[in-house]
Amino acid sequence: MKRSPQSVLLVLSGTGLLHISLFTDLYLRYVKDWMRPMLIASGVLLLLLGAADAWSHRKQASSRDEADHRVREDYEEHDSHCNDHSGVPRTAWLLLLPALSMLFYAPPALGAYTASRQASKPVVQQDVFEPLPALSPLPLTLGDFTSRVRQDPEQTLKGRSIQMTGFATPVERGEGWDLTRLLVSCCSADAQAVKVRIHGIKAPPADTWVTVVGTWHAEGTLGTSSAAVALDARTVNKVDRPSNGYMDALPLPLSSY
Amino acid sequence: MQKIASQSGGSCGGVADDVAASTTDEVSGRGSPLFVSLFLLGAAVLPGTLVVAIGLWGDEPAVQAWRNVFLSISIQALPFLLLGTALSGAINAFVPARVFDRALPRRPALAVPVAGAAGVVLPGCECASIPVANSLIGRGVTPAAAFAFLLSAPAVNPVVLTTTVIAFPDSPSMVVARLLASLATAVVMGWLWLALGREKWLRPTVRHTGHRPGHSRRTEFRLGFQHDFLHAGGFVVVGAMAAATFNVAVPDSVLDTFSGSPWLSVLFLAALAILLSVCSEADAFLAASFTGFSPVARLTFMVVGPMVDLKLIALQAGTFGRAFALRFSAATAVVAILCSTLVGGILL
Repeated sequence: MKRSPQSVLLVLSGTGLLHISLFTDLYLRYVKDWMRPMLIASGVLLLLLGAADAWSHRKQASSRDEADHRVREDYEEHDSHCNDHSGVPRTAWLLLLPALSMLFYAPPALGAYTASRQASKPVVQQDVFEPLPALSPLPLTLGDFTSRVRQDPEQTLKGRSIQMTGFATPVERGEGWDLTRLLVSCCSADAQAVKVRIHGIKAPPADTWVTVVGTWHAEGTLGTSSAAVALDARTVNKVDRPSNGYMDALPLPLSSY
Repeated sequence: MQKIASQSGGSCGGVADDVAASTTDEVSGRGSPLFVSLFLLGAAVLPGTLVVAIGLWGDEPAVQAWRNVFLSISIQALPFLLLGTALSGAINAFVPARVFDRALPRRPALAVPVAGAAGVVLPGCECASIPVANSLIGRGVTPAAAFAFLLSAPAVNPVVLTTTVIAFPDSPSMVVARLLASLATAVVMGWLWLALGREKWLRPTVRHTGHRPGHSRRTEFRLGFQHDFLHAGGFVVVGAMAAATFNVAVPDSVLDTFSGSPWLSVLFLAALAILLSVCSEADAFLAASFTGFSPVARLTFMVVGPMVDLKLIALQAGTFGRAFALRFSAATAVVAILCSTLVGGILL
């Protein structure tokens, strides 16, 4: 019986997609969460295509001795399908790379390496700032911290104890290290970094996820673009990497672990 | 019957030849015992060493970042590619050619803007629009109109325009400029093809002959879909590799070098759009982040990106042939830069 290489390719690609999107959360290392239904549907579709292809090849092989018109039909079908692509298009074998990578060798999420090669994402111009809750420490996102430090004329962050979560990125020049998040809008190829410089506590190893508590590092004038986007850290605690890391989320409460 | 078999054998190997070839392979595969044991030893040791070596090298941060970006571009493209190839398979198997005759004006010069405008309504990713355009050409649509559709469908559709509004909340003129510049590029390229294009640059489309009597439409659909997907998928992988390489190799600090000069910055962001191959739904956010650059340069980034990039050039080369892909992409890049400079100069 003639094996069909296409069906192997299709089934492997389909299984790979289902592996990262349906059975595990791995897809969140590469694309945004809204892509999940599309990935699952594509995986199922590829599996079906592969199965249909294997099935038709089987039928073709077993029906070869039957009545003349059947054979003729088969030859014609084979002919049309063969003329079209003379077997599997050679480049199609490249699909094995992402398929096998998804199944057996899934690369980790982007982290310090990517972040260290980017400048921090510029803050969006914001005029109105919501009043802050009277919590201490106050949980903030890195983006919110950045825009309040640079743009809030009320100086609401003055003297507040602030809590933020991100991963550690070593810096080449200057003091301290960067608390970082990578933001992704579609797939990780468009990742953009938000960074807050941390002073006062030694840098954890690159890519370690930490929650930092501290106060604004007084440099420049708070609420203007001269203000340093930096924090004097009091405590730095290791936390687990969130499964959906490509967003600027509030820190999880420290008491939870 | 014999005659049919020999005809098919002549064109592509045929079933009978394949069966014969696989039997001879099996016979000649049984070599001497020494060869077999050496082969087995090699088979046992080599892959292991290779995997360990790749594993060590593959855990370097830069290589990990490359693998991540490569895989993410591939994964992100797969659903859209499936959608596009399914659509193209369906057009080929189910839609009669006269539908397009009725829908499009008879004169090619008029069909181009109509096809370009049709692209605006259809939300399609750039990977999906290439197989669709190919099957349109196969069904008798004039290539110029199909190319206008190919360029406009990913560049200006409701999804892309919405993300542009979100990314540029303070400048609605940017959205209008993007719409106009992209449409203008698509239409100009269509007309340019009418004026200068040669059919011989296009790889002859054997397969998109439409439904043939006596064949099952469902099988035709399945085979066309499957073939298009496998074929285009391979080229997307090539494009994703190239894009990942640039994505990891070009540091952001290069951006600052070029942002000063207005002309260089336009050309630089156009080149960046081609190299980075970011999907058209996300490029507005990137463009918004290039704060050091003039609005015109950022507009150019968003107009060029969905029409020409490494992934698309690879995909076009696979679908229409290399002769076409190089000429078409180069011309599109030039026209897109001119259109966005012009439109941007007036509106922004």
